[in-house]
Amino acid sequence: MRNKISNYLNNGDLKRFRFWLQLSLFIFFVYGGYIAINIGDSLPTFSCTYVDGKPGTCFLVPLQHRMVTTPEKLFSYAGTAILTGLFYFTLWFLVFNKAWCGYACPLGAVQDWITALRKKIGMPYATYSWGQFKLLKKIKYILLLLLIFIPMGIGSGIFSHDMGVPFCMICPARTILPIFSGDFSQLTIDFSSKTKMIMTSLGILITGIFLVGAFVKKRFFCFFCPMSALHYLLSKPAFLKLKKDGSKCTKCGDCYSVCDMQIKEIADNITDRNILQDDCIMCFKCVAACPEDGALEVDFMGQPIFEATVQGYIKRMEKANKNG
Amino acid sequence: MDNQLQAEKKSVPFNRTHQAIEAERILRRIKDGFQDNPVAMDYFYDLYEQVYCKGESLHKDEKVIGTMCVQVPDELIYAAGGIPVRLCNGFYTDDQVGAEFMPAKSCSLVKATLGMLDKQSTLPFVDKVENIILPATCDQKRKAGSMISEMGYEVYNMEVPPVKESEEARLYWQRSVHNFAVSLKKITGQKITKASLKEALAKVAAAQKAYRTLHNLRKKAPSIFLGKDAFMVTNAYFFDKIENWTEAVNKLNAELEQRITEKITAAQRRAPRLLFTGSPAIFPNLKLPVLIEESGGVIVADETCSSSRMLYDMVAVDEYNTENMVASIADNYLKPCTCPIFTKNDDRKRKLINMAKDFAVDGVVYQAFSGCQVYQMEHSSIAKALKAEGAPMLFVESDYSPDDMGQLSTRIEAFIESLKAKRRRKR
Repeated sequence: MRNKISNYLNNGDLKRFRFWLQLSLFIFFVYGGYIAINIGDSLPTFSCTYVDGKPGTCFLVPLQHRMVTTPEKLFSYAGTAILTGLFYFTLWFLVFNKAWCGYACPLGAVQDWITALRKKIGMPYATYSWGQFKLLKKIKYILLLLLIFIPMGIGSGIFSHDMGVPFCMICPARTILPIFSGDFSQLTIDFSSKTKMIMTSLGILITGIFLVGAFVKKRFFCFFCPMSALHYLLSKPAFLKLKKDGSKCTKCGDCYSVCDMQIKEIADNITDRNILQDDCIMCFKCVAACPEDGALEVDFMGQPIFEATVQGYIKRMEKANKNG
Repeated sequence: MDNQLQAEKKSVPFNRTHQAIEAERILRRIKDGFQDNPVAMDYFYDLYEQVYCKGESLHKDEKVIGTMCVQVPDELIYAAGGIPVRLCNGFYTDDQVGAEFMPAKSCSLVKATLGMLDKQSTLPFVDKVENIILPATCDQKRKAGSMISEMGYEVYNMEVPPVKESEEARLYWQRSVHNFAVSLKKITGQKITKASLKEALAKVAAAQKAYRTLHNLRKKAPSIFLGKDAFMVTNAYFFDKIENWTEAVNKLNAELEQRITEKITAAQRRAPRLLFTGSPAIFPNLKLPVLIEESGGVIVADETCSSSRMLYDMVAVDEYNTENMVASIADNYLKPCTCPIFTKNDDRKRKLINMAKDFAVDGVVYQAFSGCQVYQMEHSSIAKALKAEGAPMLFVESDYSPDDMGQLSTRIEAFIESLKAKRRRKR
């Protein structure tokens, strides 16, 4: 029985499964609020607070709000609020790890749909050179630090209150996701103050870059996402894991060539068991593209739920070759 | 010499040539020297007979493109409307002819290939070969290139990086493969398109799928399939029509699966299981595998560029546009390649250790052609790595001449006996 189930899963069509799960979760995160769902404000994904029908809120929003405080308050009641938020965030995160990015994030889904559009046209995707990759991957950590320190600066009176929720102001989720509920109001520049004007202009500019970027590069934005950086800091103890058995790897590079995030370690690293890298979005395309039995696997609390098998690989490859 | 051979070729019917006799002799030994060969093997025996003993053409009116190493992507040649035929040759007759091009102590395989090409008979390529793709792999192949072009062939040199781990190497090789894909248009007159490349990928993938099934069937203990037949199967991939080959292998797989249910085995339960690695065993130079199995061992797996290295790793493509397909193909022909020409051989060690475990082997036989420096230089490090894992290794230096048969069979018998004794002790 157990064998049957794991065979069924390992032979499964990950692409189709992922498409439907992403679509369902997109609908949930954009319209769930309309049927009175509320799952709190510590979600480890872009359930954007500017979306009318949101069923919950992205953790970065309360984090930025609560950071607007003085150091004295930070080490008393304000700190407790932040820690409570972080606690719930961690609980959510620990269960699904970075699969929040690959399966749940509505902005991620939008990027995948833009990719599908490009694919239809038959345009090849762009990649970064290794040098660019190493340089650009640091940006997400810088953004994470900024979205913590700018609000602290506001609290200490260094920055104006118009700088509030600075990351949201430049986040493409704020401008793009509300469109799906017919709200175009975020696509405007706020002229009420100089700071607001700069921040909202920057937001529009980044939205433009996002649309072009996502069209030429797979998962363009995820590479810069501070949520992804925050995830990685907590990912070690998470229940869902991406594991590699280096002794079974032939370094054929199939996993690397399907990776949306250009993660080289997935093919080249043959020593680490826990192969999750900071840029990983846990889409598990690598596992589906691996032709070595048991070289890559997805574990949930130590139980393998999706394993690379040559049989599954051939099934998926033949299908892709027919349709792709 | 040349004229003499040409004259001989004209006056003597093909099946009476030295080559045909050499092929015939080993074919008989492989076919009739063993009992209960799988019926599906007849396809392969007949194929060799047709090509090597009778000299019949396989690819009439096709654009046949000769390849000199495992690194040439077959998919691209098929996509450009050509038929890739691997020219690496195993004839002692050709080895003697080729000796005039190379120093005395050089690789038999390279000499035999040169000898074959020099005669313009290009057996088994009775089909005409004008274009030869030569990846710059080992020194001897590299230097053979200019000699081959002097013989009147169009040689396309494919650049291969000497290091394969770095990002530079990857990009360099990707560019090299990309340039090759573009140049193929000039060679075949047909441009590689998205549709043709996709079709070629599917064609090669189907063959690899069949191979992988066969490869895995050989894990079965006691063995249901002999190594000498496995070499015949993979070696046929060098020159056979790929669709026919795939079909024949699928039939063979089905028969072997049938044999499992009927509990028919190819070797005794206690026959030592061996892993074969090193310089490739190419027809008709199958003396070492045949000797091993005549002496009571059974080759259950092999790690050579005439078999697993050529067919094992499969290409995965994320997006089916020409550019991405070519890049994915390129990665697949470089990254997992365990050819000893590269600086490091960690991947080869890992692969051998893993294979030794997976196939539950008792020992490893490492063949190095005298003069094949890279395989000779790697042997001690491989032996050490395997020893640490408890797999004894026999290092055999050999060439195409039949002179060493006596000492080889003594050494092999002794090795197999020692493995048997080790097994008994374990029990």
